[in-house]
Amino acid sequence: MKAIDEGRAAGDLVMASTSGALGSEEGTRSSIGARGISYTVSERVGPWWDIPSYHKKWTRQILKDVSFYMESGQLMGILGNSGSGKTTLLDAISGRIGNKGTFLGDVYLNGHKLKKDQFQDSFSYVLQNDTLLSYLTVEETLTYTGLLSLQNRSGNTIKKKVDSVMAELSLTHVAKNVIGGRVVNGISSGERRRVSIAAQLLQDPKVILLDEPTTGLDSMTANHIVRLLSDIARNDRIVIISIHQPRSELFTIFDKIAIMSCGELIFCGGHQEMIDFFSSCHYECPEHSNPFDFFVDLTSVDTRSPEREIETYNRVQTLASAYRNTALYQKTLEDIEYAKSTKEKLPVALKNKDAPNAFSKLVMLLRRTTRNLSRNRIGIMMRLSQNLIYGLFVVFFLLKLNNDVLTGAVQDRIGVFYLCLGGTPYTGMLNAAALFPALRAIGDQESKDGLYHTWQMFIAYVVHVFPFSLISVALFSAFLYWIIGLVADIARFGIFSVILLALHLIGEFFTLVVLAVVDNPNIVNAGVTLINISGILVGAGILRSLQEMPQVFQLLSYITYQKYACELLVINEFYDVKFACGAPNSTGPSCLFSDGNEFIEKTYPGANSRFTMDFLMLFAFIPAVIILGIISFKIRDLVAKR
Amino acid sequence: MRVSRDSLFSSEDDNSLYFTYSGNPNVLEVKELSYQVNLAAQIPWYEKLAELKMPWEWNKGPGSHMLAIENLNVKVSSGQMLAVIGSSGGGKTSLLDILTCKDEGGKIKTGQISINGKLNTPQLVKKCVAHVRQDDRLLPNLTVRETLSFVAKLRLPRTFSEKQREKRVEDVIAELRLRQCANTRVGNVYLRGVSGGERRRVSIGVQLLWNPGILILDEPTSGLDSFTAHNLVTTLSRLARGNRLVVLSIHQPRSDIFQLFDLVLLLSSGTTIYSGAACDMVQYFTSIGYPCPRYSNPADFYVDLTSIDRRSRELEEGCLEKTRTLSARFWDKVKDSSDFLWKSGEGNNVLTTSSEPSPLVTSEKAINVDSHSREEMPRGLQQFCILLRRQVSNDFRDLATLLIHGFEALFMSLLIGFLYYGQGGNKLSIQDTISLLFMKSSIPPFGVVLDVVAKCHSERAMLYHELEDGMYSVTPYFFAKVLGELPEHVSFTILYGVPIYWLADLNPAPENFLLNFLLVWMVVYCSRAMALWVSACLPTLHMSSFFCNALFTIFYLTGGFVISLKNLWAVPYGFSFISFLKYGFEGLMQVQFKGLTYFMTVGNLTIAIPGQLIVEQLEVDSTPLFACYLILMGISAGFLLLYFLSLKFIKQKSSQDW
Repeated sequence: MKAIDEGRAAGDLVMASTSGALGSEEGTRSSIGARGISYTVSERVGPWWDIPSYHKKWTRQILKDVSFYMESGQLMGILGNSGSGKTTLLDAISGRIGNKGTFLGDVYLNGHKLKKDQFQDSFSYVLQNDTLLSYLTVEETLTYTGLLSLQNRSGNTIKKKVDSVMAELSLTHVAKNVIGGRVVNGISSGERRRVSIAAQLLQDPKVILLDEPTTGLDSMTANHIVRLLSDIARNDRIVIISIHQPRSELFTIFDKIAIMSCGELIFCGGHQEMIDFFSSCHYECPEHSNPFDFFVDLTSVDTRSPEREIETYNRVQTLASAYRNTALYQKTLEDIEYAKSTKEKLPVALKNKDAPNAFSKLVMLLRRTTRNLSRNRIGIMMRLSQNLIYGLFVVFFLLKLNNDVLTGAVQDRIGVFYLCLGGTPYTGMLNAAALFPALRAIGDQESKDGLYHTWQMFIAYVVHVFPFSLISVALFSAFLYWIIGLVADIARFGIFSVILLALHLIGEFFTLVVLAVVDNPNIVNAGVTLINISGILVGAGILRSLQEMPQVFQLLSYITYQKYACELLVINEFYDVKFACGAPNSTGPSCLFSDGNEFIEKTYPGANSRFTMDFLMLFAFIPAVIILGIISFKIRDLVAKR
Repeated sequence: MRVSRDSLFSSEDDNSLYFTYSGNPNVLEVKELSYQVNLAAQIPWYEKLAELKMPWEWNKGPGSHMLAIENLNVKVSSGQMLAVIGSSGGGKTSLLDILTCKDEGGKIKTGQISINGKLNTPQLVKKCVAHVRQDDRLLPNLTVRETLSFVAKLRLPRTFSEKQREKRVEDVIAELRLRQCANTRVGNVYLRGVSGGERRRVSIGVQLLWNPGILILDEPTSGLDSFTAHNLVTTLSRLARGNRLVVLSIHQPRSDIFQLFDLVLLLSSGTTIYSGAACDMVQYFTSIGYPCPRYSNPADFYVDLTSIDRRSRELEEGCLEKTRTLSARFWDKVKDSSDFLWKSGEGNNVLTTSSEPSPLVTSEKAINVDSHSREEMPRGLQQFCILLRRQVSNDFRDLATLLIHGFEALFMSLLIGFLYYGQGGNKLSIQDTISLLFMKSSIPPFGVVLDVVAKCHSERAMLYHELEDGMYSVTPYFFAKVLGELPEHVSFTILYGVPIYWLADLNPAPENFLLNFLLVWMVVYCSRAMALWVSACLPTLHMSSFFCNALFTIFYLTGGFVISLKNLWAVPYGFSFISFLKYGFEGLMQVQFKGLTYFMTVGNLTIAIPGQLIVEQLEVDSTPLFACYLILMGISAGFLLLYFLSLKFIKQKSSQDW
C-alpha cells in the first residue's frame, strides 16, 4: 500500500517537473530523437553441411521503422516479450551492432544528426550482467574507472566525482566493502547493479541506456533501482531502459512506455496515454491485473500453432497501424523536426572522452589488476605455491639422485627434466585458466565502452604476472635443485632456475593467447595440455632421438620451446660431469654414458656449441608469445566489432 | 469488443482429459507445523573449505538456526490445486522439502503431516507422491517419446504388457500436449532440442507416467515466457481436474496465472498470511484494510506487501512486525474453522464444489492399476537391460562427442605413430622403442580421465533424482554404466592403438600384436575405472578432475620409466605395486623384445643384443607376462568395486560448479 503510494508520488513529481521545465526553459533542453530506425540481417538458411541451403540467404528484419523522441529529465521503459527486438534497439542506438546487418534511419542528439561512429561516444550503455572485479572495493572500482576514462585530472577531482556519484546512487554506506563474487561475500546484487550504473555515470553522459537492469533482482530491489533511475533522469539526463515483466507499481514511474513486438514499436507514450490508446482500440486492461503484462501479452505473437500465429500477428499489425494514426505519433515526428530546425541547438554532448594516453592507461590497468589480485587470498596462494607443491610431489618420489649410471643416474636426471618440462608450463596454464577469464570479461566490456583495448588489458596482466612467477619458480627450483642433488654449482643452479622461469612464463602466456580466441576455459585447458604434450614429444628429444625422426618432425621441432629448454637443461647438468659406473674400471655397454660430454654428444650432437644460441632462442619465445597474444587480442576485438 | 484474459491465451480447443487418476482420492493435511532449518548445514563442506573456514567454525555464525515455518495448517484434497506463493526466504522450499520427506538438515519442531490420515514417511511418499524438481534433469539425446518409454519400462509394474505401456506413454503425451514434439530430441543448454516449456512438461510427464495421486512441483514456471507459463499452469489445473492433488510453489505468479489457482497459501518469513480460495484473496485483504489498486496484480501486490526488506536493520524489523500482525489477524479469523481456510461470507462457494471428487468422464480410458500389482516393479536384471539400452541409445545419438573423441584418439595415434615412423627402413633404436612403449600406454589416459569425469558429473544430478525416486537401484545402474561404456572404449583403443603399431613397425608377429593391443586396452580401461570411481566419490567436477590427475601422476611416476624403480624409497615403491602403468609397461616390453635381436652400432662395431638381455637389464621381467594381465584385471576390478561402493554409500548430490 505504502509502496504504491510512494511510487505514485514519485511519478507525479517527475511529471510535475517535466511540465514545469517545458514551460520555462524551452530550447535549452537536450533531446534525443530516432527516426525510422530499421535493422536487417541476412542469415544463411541451412547448416554448413547442407550445401544447397547453406548458400541461400534470407533477410530477417529485426527492427522495423522505429521512431521516438525524448527530452532530458525523462525515463523511458521499453517493454516486449523476448525476441521482440528491445535489446537490439538499444544495441543499435549505442552503436554496438557492428557491421553484420544493414542499419537504416537517423538518430538525432539535440537536433544534430549523429554520424555512425559517434554513436558509441554519445551514449553510455549498462549491460545486463555486472562484470566487476570481485576483490576491489566499491570506491576503488569507481576510482579506477574514473582514472581510465577521464583525462589526467588531479586525484582530488576524481575523488570528488566518485563521491558525488556514490551519493547519487546511495552507495556511500558500502564504499569500503569489496564487490565480492562466487567465493567471497560482498555487496548485494542490487548494490552490484548500482555500481555498474555508477561506473557509467562517471563519464557524465547525457543519455544512459540500460539493458534489463532489473533482471535477476528480487522485486523490492528491482523497484528501488527503477526509482533511482528515475531520479537520475530528473537530474537533466535521458534514461532509456529495456525491461522484462516490470511490476505494476512501476506503471506510473515511467515518463514514456514503449512496447515492442516483432521489431516494431507498437506504442510509445505516457502511461495514461497508453491506457487511452488501448481503450480506443477496444482493449481494456481488466481489473486486478498488471497493465504491463496485459499489454505485452496483447501485442505478442504466439507461435505455438500456425493459426494462432496468424491471428495474433494480425492483431499486432492492427495495433501498430492504429498507433501510427494517433496524434501522439505525429507529435513525435514533429518534435524531431522541430529539434532539427531550432536555431539555438545545444552542442552534441559527447561523453567525457578526453581519455589519458595509452601508457598511463597501461599503468592504471596494471595497478588495478595487482590490487585486485592482492586481496585474493586463494589466488595468491595458488600462484605462489602451485609450483612448490608440484616440486614436493617430484621430491617425494625421487628423494635423492645417485651418481651411478648403472643404478639409473642418467635415466632419473632425464626423468626430472622431463617432469620440469611438462610441469612448469602446466602450472602456468592452470593460473591463467583460473584467473584470467574474469579479467577478460571486464576487458571485453570496457573496451566496448571505449576505455581501452583488450590487448592493453592483456599486457597489464602479463606484466603483473612476472614478480609472482619469479618468486614461485625461485621457491620451486631452489627446493628441487638442492634436495634431489643436481650438480652443486651456484652458476648452474642460476641457469636452471632461469630456464624454468622461461618455461613457466611461456606456459602461462601461451594459454592467454588461446584464451583470447577460445572462450571456454575447460576446452582451453584440454587443448593447451594436448599441445604441450605434443611439443614435448616432438621437441624434447628425450622420448625420441631427434636425428632419427622423420624430416617433417625435425623441422617442426625448431618451433617448439621444449627443444631449446631441454637441450639447455641437459647441457647444464651433464657438461663436464663424470658419473660412476658400478665398480671402478668396469666397462659395459651402459658405461658408455658415464662421461657427461659423451652423453650430450650422443643425444644432441653439437649442442655444446649451441648453448648461447639455445638460450637466446628460448627467451625469444617470451616476446614472441606476447606479440602473438597482442595479435590474437586484436583479432578478438575485430571479431567482437563485427 | 472486450477481450478477457482467456481469449488472449486460449489456444487449445482440446480440453478433454486423456489420462485421469483412478485411485482413491487423496487428502494431504498439514497440522500445526513448525520447522527449523540449520542454514550452516546446508552449505556443503567443500564450499566452507573454499572460504578458508576451519571445521570448528562451520556450525557457528549468526542466524544459522532459524524457524523456516511457523504454525502452518493446510488441508488439500484430490481435485484441487494449491499454489504456495511468497517472496524468497518465505518458507516455500522448506514446505515442499517436508512434504516430500527430503532431508535438508532441518527438523520438525511441532506438528505433523499426514496423507490420507497416515503420517508421511519416505516410504509412503515414494508410493504416492511425485515430485517435479525445478531443474530438468533428462538425457539430452533421447527423444521425448523415448524418454517417456524408458521411464515407463522402469516405473510401471511388471504386469503391464508392452502394449499397455505404449498406451500409457501415448496417453501422457496426449495429456501434456506433447504430440507435435514427441519425436524431437529433448536437448539441453548446449544442444538444441524441444523448447523450455516442453522440456518442463516432459519432466512432469516422467512423474505422471506412474499415475501418482499427488503431484508436487517446485517453481514450475520459472524461466518460461508468459504464454508457455500460462499453458503449463493450465495443464496443471487440468491434471487437478483429473482427480489429482497438485501442490506447486511459485515465486510471483502473473495475474493470468493467478486466476487459474484453486487454493492459495501466502507465506512470509514462515508464517501464514493467507490461505484460502484464490478468488477470495483480494476480498480478504480488502476486509482487513488492504485493498488492491485497480491496475495491479493482486499476487504481486500482496507478495510485496509481505516481503521483508533487508536493506537495513530497522526496515527489516518493521517488515517482520508487519507480517507478524498480518498472520496473527489471519489466524484469528480461521482458527475456529475445520480446514483453516478463509471463506468469504457464509463459505458456500468454490471450495466446496472443488473439493468434491470430479466426475471421471473418461474413466474407461484410464488404466486401472490393481493395488496389489503396484508393488511388483521390474527387478534388477530387467532394470539393468533397460538402463543399458537407454544409455547406449543416448550415447550413440551424440554424434558430436563421438566425433571429438574419435578425432582425439586418431590425432594422438598419428602423431606418435609418425614420430616413431622408421625412415628408410631403419629400425627403431632400443631407447626409442622403450620410450614409445611407455608413451603408448600412458598418453591416452590424460584425455580419457577428463572425459569420463566430465560425463559422470553431467549425469550425476539425474542419477541422484532417479535413485531418490526409487526408479531403480544402484546395482543395475552400475552394471549398465560399466557395460554401456565398453563399445566406446573398444573403438577408442582400436582407433588409437592400431595405427601406432603399424606405423612404428613394432614386433611383426600377429600374436604379439594382439598381446600388445590387449595390454594397451587394459591399461586405458584401468584409468577409465579409476576416473569412474573418483567422480562418484568427490562432490565437484573440479575436485574430481584434480584428484584424478594427481592420482594418475603418481602412477605415471611410479610406472618404471620416468624414474627407475630401484631408486624409489619405500612409500612410492609401494605405490608402484598398484601402478597399472608399470604392469602395462613391463608387459609391453616383454611382448616386444622377447625373441627379437637388436643391433647397436658403437663406432665401427656392431653388437648384437638379444631382446631377452634388454628385458633382463632393465629389470622389467619381475612380473611374468600372464601375471601382468591378471594384475591389470585385478586393478580395474578393484577400481570398479570402489566405484560401486561409492555409488552405494555416497549421496550423488550434484553441485556442478563453484
